[in-house]
Amino acid sequence: MLESLAISLVNAVPVLSGVPLWTITLLIMVVVAAVVLTFALVYAGLATYVERKVAGDIQARVGPNRVGPVGLLQFLADGIKLLLKEDIIPAKADRFLFVLAPYLVFIGSFAAFVVVPFGVGLIASDLNIGIYYVMAITSLVVVGVMLAGWSSNNKWALLGGMRAAAQIVSYEIPVGMALLPAVLIAGSLSLQDIVRSQGGLFGIFGWNLFHNPFTFFSFFLYYVAALAETNRTPFDIPEAESELVSGYHVEYSGIRFAFFFLAEYGDMFIVSALATACFLGGWHVPFLSAEALPASWGNLFSLGVFLTKTLGLVLLMMWVRWTLPRLRVDQLMRMAWKYLVPITFFNLLGVSLWLLLFHGKGIPQMIASLIG
Amino acid sequence: MGLKAYLYDIWEAVATTAKGMRITARYGVDPRETITLQYPEERWEPSERFRGFLYNDIKRCTSCTMCVRVCPVDCISLEAVRGADKKMVLASYDIDIGRCMYCGLCVEVCPPKSLKHTSGYEKASVNRGELILHFVHEDASEIKSRVAKQVAEAAAKAEAEKAAKAAEEPQASGPAPDDGRKELPAGQPASPPAAAANPENQGAAEKKPAEGAKEDLGKPEEPPKKGEVETP
Amino acid sequence: MKSHAEALPTQEMLINMGPQHPSTHGVLRVILRTDGEVVVNAKPDVGYLHRALEKIGERVTYAQFMPFTDRLDYLASMNCNAAWAWTVEKLAGIEVPERAEYIRVIVCELNRISSHLIAFGSFTADMGAFTPFLYAIRERERINDLFEDICGNRLTYNYVRIGGVSADLPDRFLEKTKEFLDYFEPKVPEYNKLISYNKIFVHRLANVAVATPEDAVGYGLTGPNLRGSGVSFDLRKNEPYSVYPKFDFDVCVGTGERGTLGDCFDRYMVRINEMKESVKILRQAIAQIPEGPVMAKVPRMFKPPVGEVYFRAENPRGETGIYLISDGTVNPYRLKIRAPSFVTMNIFEKITRGLMIADVVAVIGSFDIILPEIDR
Repeated sequence: MLESLAISLVNAVPVLSGVPLWTITLLIMVVVAAVVLTFALVYAGLATYVERKVAGDIQARVGPNRVGPVGLLQFLADGIKLLLKEDIIPAKADRFLFVLAPYLVFIGSFAAFVVVPFGVGLIASDLNIGIYYVMAITSLVVVGVMLAGWSSNNKWALLGGMRAAAQIVSYEIPVGMALLPAVLIAGSLSLQDIVRSQGGLFGIFGWNLFHNPFTFFSFFLYYVAALAETNRTPFDIPEAESELVSGYHVEYSGIRFAFFFLAEYGDMFIVSALATACFLGGWHVPFLSAEALPASWGNLFSLGVFLTKTLGLVLLMMWVRWTLPRLRVDQLMRMAWKYLVPITFFNLLGVSLWLLLFHGKGIPQMIASLIG
Repeated sequence: MGLKAYLYDIWEAVATTAKGMRITARYGVDPRETITLQYPEERWEPSERFRGFLYNDIKRCTSCTMCVRVCPVDCISLEAVRGADKKMVLASYDIDIGRCMYCGLCVEVCPPKSLKHTSGYEKASVNRGELILHFVHEDASEIKSRVAKQVAEAAAKAEAEKAAKAAEEPQASGPAPDDGRKELPAGQPASPPAAAANPENQGAAEKKPAEGAKEDLGKPEEPPKKGEVETP
Repeated sequence: MKSHAEALPTQEMLINMGPQHPSTHGVLRVILRTDGEVVVNAKPDVGYLHRALEKIGERVTYAQFMPFTDRLDYLASMNCNAAWAWTVEKLAGIEVPERAEYIRVIVCELNRISSHLIAFGSFTADMGAFTPFLYAIRERERINDLFEDICGNRLTYNYVRIGGVSADLPDRFLEKTKEFLDYFEPKVPEYNKLISYNKIFVHRLANVAVATPEDAVGYGLTGPNLRGSGVSFDLRKNEPYSVYPKFDFDVCVGTGERGTLGDCFDRYMVRINEMKESVKILRQAIAQIPEGPVMAKVPRMFKPPVGEVYFRAENPRGETGIYLISDGTVNPYRLKIRAPSFVTMNIFEKITRGLMIADVVAVIGSFDIILPEIDR
């Protein structure tokens, strides 16, 4: 895709014809990467603000309201504070791993932004193995978290790291299993294809969510499992402020801590974006096709739709966080292995059977064919 | 665990979570539920009995030291000297509000009700010394030496009067011990605690109405030769 | 072939939980010996907040010790104040005016509500739900407003005096209290809906750290912790003092409704239910309070007769007992305080064996210990 973009650019601007094609492709890649990263960082910053605001509202407080209009610039103040803080590396820590860990976590979370289908043509790279890529790259987070827990040479951090590893590894399975129905229906791993498969004139009934009862449950199963994968309350046992002080990042300070923090919010976005793309129709809205609009408007419109859905899910995560208590580590494991894994398998089986029996038609399609 | 219990478990988890989230959502969207007071701009009204920083109205203070004795943490320090008119003159009155625990016992025992709680509660400081409230602004040693001087003057005056009286109607041995006692403070005017022993003569009693009148007239700072003492 | 354990030898881990830890409710230090996440042994180490309050008591006068009782259990200052006053009055045989006794009961029960609110809030915060904590604080703030009206302070009240209370109720206090009760009563069911019966919360607490009735009595648990084990013992009923016999209220006991009798959930629910009972008592007290003086005649240089006395009061955290020996001077000769939280720590080591680290937090929270009382 980028190469074709480069070729069209060369064709459009004759001056560039002397430059080798790979240079232009690389240049475009860097620009796209910069745009995505900037978006991710700004989003993460604003998400911390929104999180605090939501917490404040729920708790009958106000939340940040001093820095900038209604406190909107709070995240900048926090970011600057974290940048200026002393960077402490414990004396007995494994320095190399300690320094490495936050980057792994950060990369694992933010590299996944590459395949998020923001709009009709707005995707950094439409990989044909999109979902696998996301699941693979976000697994880097586990490595980072474990390294952080181990290298800090702190028992609380170690416990947190071990918990995180156990938790994320366990919940990868239900997450994957819950996403597979969408892949089955679309017949493709590419997120853009999955989103396209949910279009059509059925409005919201084209979404995978309403395709059949199994996909309906898949969405909620995915959301719960993904919540656990992002280490958010009620599954925040690796951090567990009141038990493990703050778990694997207890020894981190300053900007290194900020990396963990940003990664958490990045994860939330990725998880919500996947849910949106796979179950909530991505950038589709009822009665209006973004693909039919002129390219620029279509992109902008579909971006807005996608972000609205995704951020809605992020907001839901925050709402859940400020309502629920935390599970215990064994209960968390029990939930994964005794509830989520069997049910998602059952679900997958159900979806497969459904597709086999009804030749890939969802309930809305069947109803439509009955009527029409 | 049967299938029914298994499914009920899941249902219960979903239902109770939904219930809780409904409550948090209600608080989240209802702006009337926000109870935060935007502190420096908005303030709450301290109640009438609010026990804030202590304040001693030294015009009314009789230096009785009840507050000092009742304070469980010894945060009040008081220095007073006996003035020429028998009454105590406050030399210094300090309250260490860093140590004070705002129990209010001192206010309750204060006989002239000069010690009071204010509604003040803001006194952040970077220096412990700033947490000591001084109620007598003059230097303690100055007050002491001044009072000692007054005492000496009064004693000398009384002496003179007595001498004049003695000259008028010379009597026998009666006032002799008095003389002896009067001699002592006059001899050592620089030592204020000892001055407390002196005032058993009529001289001081004579001065009393005069001083009271002056107190009523002027500001406490105006008559510098007197302490700020009022008759209770 | 080597066995699993030989190939991968494991070690027990020694973790220091506290004195600086978010959920040890202050400066409690627990020395945890764990096998992974499972606690092999948890030994509480107390004393980081020792201020020698009992020794101070021997150096100050009877009246002067009153503000120090505020610092005994700072979440229930009124109860500690009143316990001290009742002790000294029992020693000296002072007859307290009835209105003063009613006022004491009112402030004690208000303070019991506020203390249980903190127990409830901090416990849920320990369990990871931070929101109920702020709701609890919000309600407690109203009680603090009432206390500010009545005595001028919001935390360490020093309101009760030997022989009565320091000042009569301010205007409109009873109406304000009634308003508060009307506001507060529907909040308790809301807490139950929000968190108490939440599946996750119940699972975290049910069957965790069971104190059997025998253990509870044997280790000297008192107050809600004892009642959580199903033992119906409340000093307000069983050994009535003050005007408590005039009120009609129930003693809340654990029922094992979601698990075993005497688990963390039972102890938690006892506190929730006791708040409702306190509301009942308050309503009756407000209706019955007589007019009259609020202070008995007590000489300023108060010297009780030679003798000794033990008085125990039902405080929010259990039975606060004060043992006092007087030698007839202005200062007590010897003062010993039986602090309920301190006694509760005895059972800690036994009850936490074999639990997980997260449960240790639940145990600390469910016992509702307070450190200034443990260390005195």
